[in-house]
Amino acid sequence: MNDPWTLALGRAPEPWLLAVLILVGGVALTEALLAFARPRAALTRSRRLLLLLLRLLGVAALAASVLELTYHVDRLAPAAARVVVLLDTSASMQIADAAAGEPPIARLDRLRQRWLADASTRERWRARGLTLELHAFDRELRDLSPRRLDDLDAPAIGSASDLTRALSQLDDPRPIAALLLLSDGLVAADPAADAALNAAALALRAPITTLAAGAPRLRDLAIHDLQAAEFAFVEDRAELRAQLLAHGLEGSLAEVELRQDGAPVAAQRVTLPADGQPIPLRFEFVPDRVGHFVYELVVAPQPGEATLENNRRAVIIKVLRDKVRVLHVAGRPDWDVRALRTLLRRDPNVELLSYYILRDREDSDREDPNAELSLIAFPTDELFSEQLDTFDLIVLHNFDARAHQVGRYLGDIARYAAGGGALVVIGGDLGLATADYRASPLAPLLLLDLDGDLGLSTAPYRPVLTEAGRRHPITAWIADPRLEGARLPLLDSFNRARLAAAAAPFNPAVLLAHPDGAPLLAVAEPGKGRVAVLTTGATWRLGFAPDLPMLDGARPYDRLWLGLIRWLIRDPSAERLTLDLSAAHVRPGEPVELRLTALTAGYAPEPEVPLRWQLRPLGGDHQPAPSDSQEIDPDRDPPPLAEGELITDPLGRAAHRLPPLPEGAYELLAERRPPPQGPQQAPAPPLSSESTARRVLLVDAGARELTDLAAAPGDARLAQLARLTGGLALRASEGDPLPDDLPLADDPLRAAPRVEARREAPLWDSAPALALLFLALGLEWILRRRAGLA
Amino acid sequence: MPSPPRLTRRRLLTAGAAAAAAQALPARAAPPPLPDELDPELDEPYVDPPPDRLLQVDLPQLRYPGAWQPRPGVMRELARELRLRTRLEPLREPTVVTAEGPRLFATPFLYVAGEGGLPALGAAAERELARFLDHGGTILFDGADGGVDLTFERDVRALLARLIPGAELARVAAEHVLYRSFYVVDAPLGRTATFDHVLGVESEGRLRVILARNDLGGALARAPGGLPIYPCVPGGPDQRERAIRFAVNILLYATCTDYKADRAHVETLLQHRRR
Repeated sequence: MNDPWTLALGRAPEPWLLAVLILVGGVALTEALLAFARPRAALTRSRRLLLLLLRLLGVAALAASVLELTYHVDRLAPAAARVVVLLDTSASMQIADAAAGEPPIARLDRLRQRWLADASTRERWRARGLTLELHAFDRELRDLSPRRLDDLDAPAIGSASDLTRALSQLDDPRPIAALLLLSDGLVAADPAADAALNAAALALRAPITTLAAGAPRLRDLAIHDLQAAEFAFVEDRAELRAQLLAHGLEGSLAEVELRQDGAPVAAQRVTLPADGQPIPLRFEFVPDRVGHFVYELVVAPQPGEATLENNRRAVIIKVLRDKVRVLHVAGRPDWDVRALRTLLRRDPNVELLSYYILRDREDSDREDPNAELSLIAFPTDELFSEQLDTFDLIVLHNFDARAHQVGRYLGDIARYAAGGGALVVIGGDLGLATADYRASPLAPLLLLDLDGDLGLSTAPYRPVLTEAGRRHPITAWIADPRLEGARLPLLDSFNRARLAAAAAPFNPAVLLAHPDGAPLLAVAEPGKGRVAVLTTGATWRLGFAPDLPMLDGARPYDRLWLGLIRWLIRDPSAERLTLDLSAAHVRPGEPVELRLTALTAGYAPEPEVPLRWQLRPLGGDHQPAPSDSQEIDPDRDPPPLAEGELITDPLGRAAHRLPPLPEGAYELLAERRPPPQGPQQAPAPPLSSESTARRVLLVDAGARELTDLAAAPGDARLAQLARLTGGLALRASEGDPLPDDLPLADDPLRAAPRVEARREAPLWDSAPALALLFLALGLEWILRRRAGLA
Repeated sequence: MPSPPRLTRRRLLTAGAAAAAAQALPARAAPPPLPDELDPELDEPYVDPPPDRLLQVDLPQLRYPGAWQPRPGVMRELARELRLRTRLEPLREPTVVTAEGPRLFATPFLYVAGEGGLPALGAAAERELARFLDHGGTILFDGADGGVDLTFERDVRALLARLIPGAELARVAAEHVLYRSFYVVDAPLGRTATFDHVLGVESEGRLRVILARNDLGGALARAPGGLPIYPCVPGGPDQRERAIRFAVNILLYATCTDYKADRAHVETLLQHRRR
């Protein structure tokens, strides 16, 4: 038995105990030695020797028990030279490229060919005592079966490769004699990461011999380095930049398309330059709606491309309102104009453009022609024709449109409102009272029957909250229990009218009414827009009265108008159903959770709300959903990939984990589930967009793995690693064979045998040890008794 | 597109003024009218809608114990000028309110005139006035002394110190939109031209208090015959016209706030001036 052994103390005894032990042991042994040396008649020499041995054994057993002696036997292994083979299994290893005069072949296959051809070399390595271990790496390092050493059979499906991480994960304490790296060299996020890679390689203290898998001839188009701001603003120019990388396609024409949620937005044609020269791409676009959108650059595939996975890149952009652009047109200055202007001016998110009619024609006739006036012409054409669609909200405030050459634009305003704009018409003694909108294209959108004489009543009255008003976000606050007992101030301006029958298709809602039941505030959603009509020019009194009923410190005037404006412009904060995702941009297979929150009309958490949700792909084969509040339309939209129903908890929340998704862009829609319909009832009407929420989800690898596939940068990186660590740089495309004399680490310490295993046998903590102790001491005592010594 | 028939209240007003003048002449000897202050179109016919079909604004004046009305009827005259010159529709007979009365909050504008001092209004009255300002009201103080006696200004300062603690009357810069809210006005003239600026308390981007010290009411005041009561010095009729323009500006500022400071207006006006 050649294995080394040692005795080890189980514990270090206290000094006094050690002293006692030595004293006792010494005395016992001395007495035994003296007894052995002194001849006695009763004891033969052999018997005395036996007693001495028993004494020695007893003392030794006692010492082993007290000192907790343990017996160690080490098994040593010879110092075999360990060669780690690292195989790159990221997706770029599937790219087919070609060496000069050869057909294209996938990089991994090229490596395998080289590997199989050098089987005899590996046998010679083993004969020299080299031990080969095979690992694969992409994002992570993983072990491969030793059987794979013969054929390198491993799929290249990793979404990215991170060699630095893989090297750092080689945490086996056994030293490495050499590392053989089989890769295309596309193993770092960018050149800036090479320093970390080199440091990790040097830390191994072993030569790295690289076998490059790439070949110089590649045919591919790739969208690279897509850059866009996380946010963009409605009606404001936004920019998206990228690079187009082309290989093997010099002189060809390529078409690059910008898509929003899968729908084409813009396109560019470019002539492809020589290999690897990046073509800067710059697309400008003007978002026309608020919401989350997937913007994607797609380059049309060319015949024979190595891969099409890099022909598109996508990003999610959140489109916001920069400022709410409000056009406020008033027919005459008064306190109501002042109040609304003050409110709008106070909000830094409002860009207010005001035009107030300050004098009539007869006023100007009388005016001193030399008086310097601070008046300007009313730019009707500019406002109502050229810039009309740039406004988020138009307020016609006690405005006699026909008297100021705006009558000709009422059709434009109607188109604006029905096409997605927001319009408020405020009554008073002009406009509604003077029949300026009667029989105009705008009349149907004003919800009121304008054929009669609306006139103006200045008799005081108190507004009445209707049932619809109690549920509507604009006026629900009036029913707040905290305002119970408080009354709204009296108003003193009223245009008496009734809802027009022609407005019925718009499903108008009267939120506030005159005590006689006539509408005071009516709202509707004609087409894609939103309209509100106030038949009073005295809402300013809701903000200027001696005893205003305040709610959360806000005046009724502010609550009413801020709620009205938010509703009109579809401010997300006014939505009562919100949809969020745990992450909007994930890798394939990563979990995503959708989270829904429902609020009551009073913006309190709404429990027990049945909600339904749908997950749909966003592709080029269907029309995109236009905004975050788009209705679910089964006739227009593609079938859902997944859908379900949820019930909100007491805090108005509901959540669901989505199934793993493959790469692609998706939209998630959620809405309040319509109430169940009886068998005799008509199908449920379309849900109001007010109760619908939308988000987009982007699933992609998010790495640059398949961006720039040219072999040269990877080759250079591998060569640098080899040079830095003392290895060899080989190229499979050039037929470089594996060398017989693989560079090995020459550290002498690595040649020392290593402890492969250790066996431990406690000498004290066992029944035999105890038995031996008692046996030795007991037997000695018995023998001494028989000899008459004790 | 043709316009529907428009109101011609200017004709009513001017005719009314002429009629009033004709009735007043035998009873009272008025100073000879200045030619440039006569309206050239007194004889034009008049058509106006019933007042209750108009969304009118009031120009209330504060009554308090003391000389609250040194220039009687001045708000009526200002209302008349506003109707003649602008699209504002003030009440023909502006109301008189008290600080503790129910009508104080009927209009977010208040005219407070005084001469030789402003007596203490009492705690309750001052509490209401403070709330009036806090809710967004605007007060125009007008010193009828025309700069001769600064007692009124001193008392106004003391009152404001109680109404708006921490606020202080400050010079309203010549660039302020108050001077171009309708007319482009160089100076805040009144019956006198003692001061080339008004004082004000500005907060949250608006003037909450304006103190005119050149006797603005004195420039506006007219006798029942329609003729000015007080001569404007030193500028005469021209100064009166400029004072009226400034008064018009104050009301346009009160109703439109800083409308004329909007970028669109400023740029357009600058372009016109360059031409």
